Amino acid sequence: MKRLIVAAQFAAALLVAGCTEEAPRSEEGVDRSAASSFGMIQDRTSSSPAEALFVEKCSMCHRNMGMGTVLLGRRMDPKVAPLEDRDDLTADYVTQAVRVGIGNMPIIPRGEVSDEQLQQIAGYLAKGDGE
Amino acid sequence: MAIADAGSVARALREMAAALGNDRVFFDQQDRMAYSDQFAWEPERHMPGGAVAPETLEEVQEAVRIADRNRVPIWPISRGKNLGYGSAAPVVAGSIVMDLSRMKRIEVDADNGTVLLEPGVGFFDLYDHLRDNGIPLWLSVPGNSWGSVAGNALDRGVGYTTYGDHAARICGIEMVLANGEVVRTGTGAMSNSSTWQLYKPGFGPSWDAMLCQSNFGVITKVGMWLLPEPEAVAGFDIECDKPEDLEWLIDTLAPLRREGIIQQSPSIGNWLRAASPLTQREQWAKPGEPLTDSAIAAIRKQFNVGYWSVSTRFYGPLEVVEATQKHVAKAFEKTTAQLTPSRWVKGDNPEGTPWTGVPVTFPLANANWFGGRGGHIGFSPVMPARGDVAMKLFRQAYDLFNQYGFDYHPSFALGERHMTNVNQILFDRDNAEMTAKIDPLFRQLVKNAAQEGYSEYRAHIDYMDLIASTFDFGNGALRRLNERVKDALDPNGIIAPGKSGIRSRAQRGEAA
Repeated sequence: MKRLIVAAQFAAALLVAGCTEEAPRSEEGVDRSAASSFGMIQDRTSSSPAEALFVEKCSMCHRNMGMGTVLLGRRMDPKVAPLEDRDDLTADYVTQAVRVGIGNMPIIPRGEVSDEQLQQIAGYLAKGDGE
Repeated sequence: MAIADAGSVARALREMAAALGNDRVFFDQQDRMAYSDQFAWEPERHMPGGAVAPETLEEVQEAVRIADRNRVPIWPISRGKNLGYGSAAPVVAGSIVMDLSRMKRIEVDADNGTVLLEPGVGFFDLYDHLRDNGIPLWLSVPGNSWGSVAGNALDRGVGYTTYGDHAARICGIEMVLANGEVVRTGTGAMSNSSTWQLYKPGFGPSWDAMLCQSNFGVITKVGMWLLPEPEAVAGFDIECDKPEDLEWLIDTLAPLRREGIIQQSPSIGNWLRAASPLTQREQWAKPGEPLTDSAIAAIRKQFNVGYWSVSTRFYGPLEVVEATQKHVAKAFEKTTAQLTPSRWVKGDNPEGTPWTGVPVTFPLANANWFGGRGGHIGFSPVMPARGDVAMKLFRQAYDLFNQYGFDYHPSFALGERHMTNVNQILFDRDNAEMTAKIDPLFRQLVKNAAQEGYSEYRAHIDYMDLIASTFDFGNGALRRLNERVKDALDPNGIIAPGKSGIRSRAQRGEAA
């Protein structure tokens, strides 16, 4: 396998974000497409309509190499910095964070994510029952 | 500062709700905050009066007609993610934000390497579309890729590949005028055009360039060229050790860029650009105290970055990029630069970075440099691509940033003839003492740049008038020309008043 080359301004970030030069990387118990884990390429796969909405609207920041994942990794165990790996999110909390903003996260307006879409995403992150 | 009439805005929003549906109009306090400047420490200065989210061209036309009839300003956004320049927020407080983020149609012509996009299509959307459909075309992505492809190009955003001058890759635009009429530019003006995304000029005056950073219409479609996947990508990651190395670094790269040996825009950044997404200031200095030389050395050591870093890449057939690589290495032979070569060939594992069109958002983690609810604002002068020019500006700006208590975070991106110096003023928007210093620093930077004859290439909504005022030839002749066009196309001044300092006659008296 050829060595994965990364640009200087991105190289250190890959190390901090836990990516290695050996790809693909798979995580036990997480159904992610290994083929999409090279370098900074984000896993964009989904297996349900709610997960697909999460990918479309949120994962750019809240999966691997996302700004949200990087910043949350500073405040908590980096293993649970990706929102999908959390088990403490409630639908109300997610809704509040999206509509009011939290920390460095900007508010996501209703034009971009409708209330109905947010309900689905919040349900997905809260594992369906808010607990 | 002008403020839109609240009664007229409320009436227009009611009419838009009646025409488009109640679920397309947003006007409560939370909605207005959602469309305000997300990095602002005083968001009320540009607080919108509400928002409307059309989903089709016809709905855009209808909403524009309603705004025109009621004489209320609308502020069209594509995705509203240009956080360093104002997010979704309008120049004129009380305006109705026209949120086009739901318009997400993508039409790719794989054979010709073009795409026709609606404004809501983000870089990740287009990336997914190309990958899911196995289309061998590459994006050019900006440093933070959560925004709109069309919106970024229209605001003259830049990327890393040979297609990184995004505005230059626009080919054909569809827009709605203030009277609701739909216009297509270039050869799209033929109703059965088969070259709309293939031939930029059209016949007679070309409008695409005029519609960038302008407010002459609401743009509903943008044609763009995409990079056909090359056989190979090779290049160098280059590190320089000393502040003064900037001069020869630019003087080595600029001729290669001018001669077309390097066909993308190498962007030279300092140690803070590389380190700020990865760490926080409090780990290296006490609040309010400057970063010492030893702290800077420690940061550079931890993240293994030079005082200046720059990468360059060459795209094309393997034998061509290898030859280019040799030529560029020779240009650096007599310097102290550390060159690390890179090479990707079709068939290898994906290269996996923005150099090959991979969208990312983590660089915006630099907003957390000072902690708190962070933010940044961009100061981005354009200057000649010369090392002595950059050194003079660097020394001056470095001292100014320190004087005002900020950390200097510059980049120098080399164009074919010019250089764009993008500076991010990083701040904690909850630190009132800090945010109070941003405006005086910014104004001093603009003043210094204007004295040297440098304009900015892009501006935050707070500073569009200030930047426009530096274009003073003929006592502001260009501004008056823009205003005459605005008066002709949008006499009631409803589309994005104040964008790039341009207002219609109806608002000019109130603009100071």
